[in-house]
Amino acid sequence: MKRYSEHRFPGKLFVVEGIDGSGKSTQLMLLHQWLKAEGYGVVFSEWNSSPLVRDITKRGKKKQMLSPATFSLIHATDFADRMERNIIPLLKAGAVVLCDRYIYTAFARDVVRGMDPKWVRELYSYAVKPTVMFYFRVPLEVAMKRLMNGRNGFKYYEAGMDLELSEDPEESFQMFQGRIIEEYDKMVPEFELTVVDATLPIEVEQAQMRQVVKSKLAQAKRLRVAP
Amino acid sequence: MREAYGVVLPGMNLADLTGKLIVIEGTDGVGRSTQIDLLVPWLEQQGRAVVDTGLSRSALAGKGIKQAKEGHTLGPLTLSLFYATDFADRLETEIVPALRAGFVVLTDRYIYSLMARAMLRGIDTGWLRNAYSFALKPDVVFYLRIGVDDLIPRVVFSRGFDYWESGMDLHPSEDMYESFRKYQTALLARFDELAQEYRFEVIDASAGVETVFRQLRQGIAGVLSGEPREPLFAVESPKAPAEEPGGRKVVEMPVASKGAVGATEPKKEEKVVS
Repeated sequence: MKRYSEHRFPGKLFVVEGIDGSGKSTQLMLLHQWLKAEGYGVVFSEWNSSPLVRDITKRGKKKQMLSPATFSLIHATDFADRMERNIIPLLKAGAVVLCDRYIYTAFARDVVRGMDPKWVRELYSYAVKPTVMFYFRVPLEVAMKRLMNGRNGFKYYEAGMDLELSEDPEESFQMFQGRIIEEYDKMVPEFELTVVDATLPIEVEQAQMRQVVKSKLAQAKRLRVAP
Repeated sequence: MREAYGVVLPGMNLADLTGKLIVIEGTDGVGRSTQIDLLVPWLEQQGRAVVDTGLSRSALAGKGIKQAKEGHTLGPLTLSLFYATDFADRLETEIVPALRAGFVVLTDRYIYSLMARAMLRGIDTGWLRNAYSFALKPDVVFYLRIGVDDLIPRVVFSRGFDYWESGMDLHPSEDMYESFRKYQTALLARFDELAQEYRFEVIDASAGVETVFRQLRQGIAGVLSGEPREPLFAVESPKAPAEEPGGRKVVEMPVASKGAVGATEPKKEEKVVS
């Protein structure tokens, strides 16, 4: 079993991380469009999307059956399935793989839920080290403002209600996300996350991102398919 | 006080877990469930409240594992984590509450079976140890040990050869019988290693049901009375596993034609996340 930095694949892996409302998914979507237009074989993979596992997670969440341990392990199962069957084969084939959330999401959330930091890191130790991991850093108030715009209420686990920080979902969400930010900030030096100032205008952030990605794609092959 | 092998899960208080945690381990078809079916009424007759549990029976993940296995599409890491999810759910919602209430918990397999299977599929021992390190140390592990030659007739005359029990995902051989033989032989070797490391009490399962039952009763009575235990049988020391240059243990499947199993280098990349 190869560990984190030992993998060598022709493909490139770019991941975005950050709290909800940081704008990371929008940025990844724009990057995706651009890479496609540039002729790269690009594939998108989302957190919590394994066809085998997703429904179990959904049901577990809906019925509030998940403890910190099972929350952590079911997400790790989902990730392993995508890693084994999807991400690694694509990287071998030379694709550019884009991930909305990666192992650092688990490190942040699970540790806030009380799981042992070393245990969680070891659990994901086989994951491929991304070419670049973008961390969209945003003050909590800014993220809250964006989120409250056009949605009503928060889901149980999303707001960290299982941690019993507050009975009010909005307040609980704020406290939970605040702790997640602390974990992300600790990971910036630990994993050499590339910090993006997520308060900047969308197009400015995207230009920065493209510049970084471009510099890493010098040798990546463009997968061409006949039209 | 009861201990975990490594990390203690959040919110899990290990004090006052006064019940007994008894594990019945052993390979497929060795008669574990037959013995558990006998042990439950026997314990209850003595006034002991019993909970019995086993792999993939959790409310959270049990059904999902079964469905996914039917499709034969799970990678070895995914399967290990799926089972870990199932185990954690049962540990938190069944085993620990029962131990707290003073029950005898009889479990059909524990983390050891999961480790042995995953090791054969190329998963690192160190990774497995960490992943399952939240498991509680049981009071006793009875290992129903059987040789492949004694196992085969049992399987043939009960339910036949099963895809996973024959390790067909590893493609040891095209033929189910040959595969079963090779896979179970390799599995037994792993169990023997684990038996030493985790101090299993070994019971010769080639003996009749009654004999095995008697030995289990004797062993369990000892555990319940709280007396210090003597091992029933000594485990023969397993052969030293071969080492790869990288220091990783090689899965030695007794395969006739090289290149069939994940143990052979050129194929490995395709079989496991390495």
